[in-house]
Amino acid sequence: MEFHDNYPSYETMYNHDEAYGKKARKTLWKVFWVMLIITIVELIIGFMAPGQGWSGTFGLKFLFIGLTIVKAAAIVWWFMHLGHEVKFLKYVILLPYLVFMLYTIFIVLTEGTYSGRSGKFTKSDPIFAKQQEELKAKGHGAHGGSEHHEAEAAHGEEAHH
Amino acid sequence: MAHTAEIDAKEAWNGGVSPFRVSYGKMMMWFFLISDALTFGGLLVSYGFIRHKYADVWPKAENVFTHFPFVEQHLPLAYVGLMTFILIMSSVTMVLAVEAGKRMDRRGVTIWMLWTIVGGLAFVLSQCWEWYHFIIGTEEGAMRNIWHPELGKYVLEKWTGANMVYNEYGVPQFANYFFFITGFHGTHVFSGVVINFIIFLNVLRGTYERRGHYEMIEKVGLYWHFVDLVWVFVFTFFYLL
Repeated sequence: MEFHDNYPSYETMYNHDEAYGKKARKTLWKVFWVMLIITIVELIIGFMAPGQGWSGTFGLKFLFIGLTIVKAAAIVWWFMHLGHEVKFLKYVILLPYLVFMLYTIFIVLTEGTYSGRSGKFTKSDPIFAKQQEELKAKGHGAHGGSEHHEAEAAHGEEAHH
Repeated sequence: MAHTAEIDAKEAWNGGVSPFRVSYGKMMMWFFLISDALTFGGLLVSYGFIRHKYADVWPKAENVFTHFPFVEQHLPLAYVGLMTFILIMSSVTMVLAVEAGKRMDRRGVTIWMLWTIVGGLAFVLSQCWEWYHFIIGTEEGAMRNIWHPELGKYVLEKWTGANMVYNEYGVPQFANYFFFITGFHGTHVFSGVVINFIIFLNVLRGTYERRGHYEMIEKVGLYWHFVDLVWVFVFTFFYLL
């Protein structure tokens, strides 16, 4: 069978001239600034959060994950150039990954209860419980240093004091 | 922008052309990155699982990573912010190298590749510094049950820093996952720097000029951007949440 490749070279197919390059560079720098601003906003929120006491809130976590996904999408779409590839390639790369990851997350969220009850470590670990008693006897015990997390206060001398 | 006409969907799968309109090497790089991304995805999901299980004794990153070079102050998140900036910056220089390669601009490729290598090295060294301070710990330390083999029992005493067994900041699982995931990512960054350096030498020697295209820059660029992509997630799940 005759080999008929209509495309002379896949390697040089996306080559471009100076005029197009100028436009492309402008887009790339724009993406960079957006990503930088998102990161700075994330850091400012993260920096403020412990003092404000809303570090552990559900909404904040979703905000962080959402901003992360925006950044990730920007990297894949513009920096890794996936946005300019043909439709077939986009699907072949993104779909299997998304299906596997969503399934893994789903299965951990729904079946994860088998690992024991979450957030009950202080009560369930005998060595830890014994240690807390000994600390209390020595006067090292809970001194109410942290208002947000009882467990941390019960944890004795923490690093952040 | 020659040869970018859309392929007829029926014709594309009859053989003779690439339905994906990419070269073999670039497609295989993408497939490798998917498998690597699944590894990192699995690690991060398992991290989230363990973190949720030990939610009440899990340390907060703001209380663990508070150091900044040459500054004595308590600066949570500042250092990791700098590291993130370095990595995003080196991702930009990489994509500019790719762009220069598409214009067959050897000088541009050389300069931007060099900056990418510098950024990558700066990130790896920053990572070393972060690990060093995490392992050394704080002066105050924390009370931990330390196993004494000669006594055959646990003794409650002061412990500073973190290793795979004891961790002054909280449960040892935090240190385990920190070492494994940031270590795995750091290994990727380091190998990325080595690969970038080899490609940089080839650019200097004119290998791609003779070959007629700079697609190799694009392929290593994909790998480098992937490393940045993983860091974006590691940064969120280890330091922000």
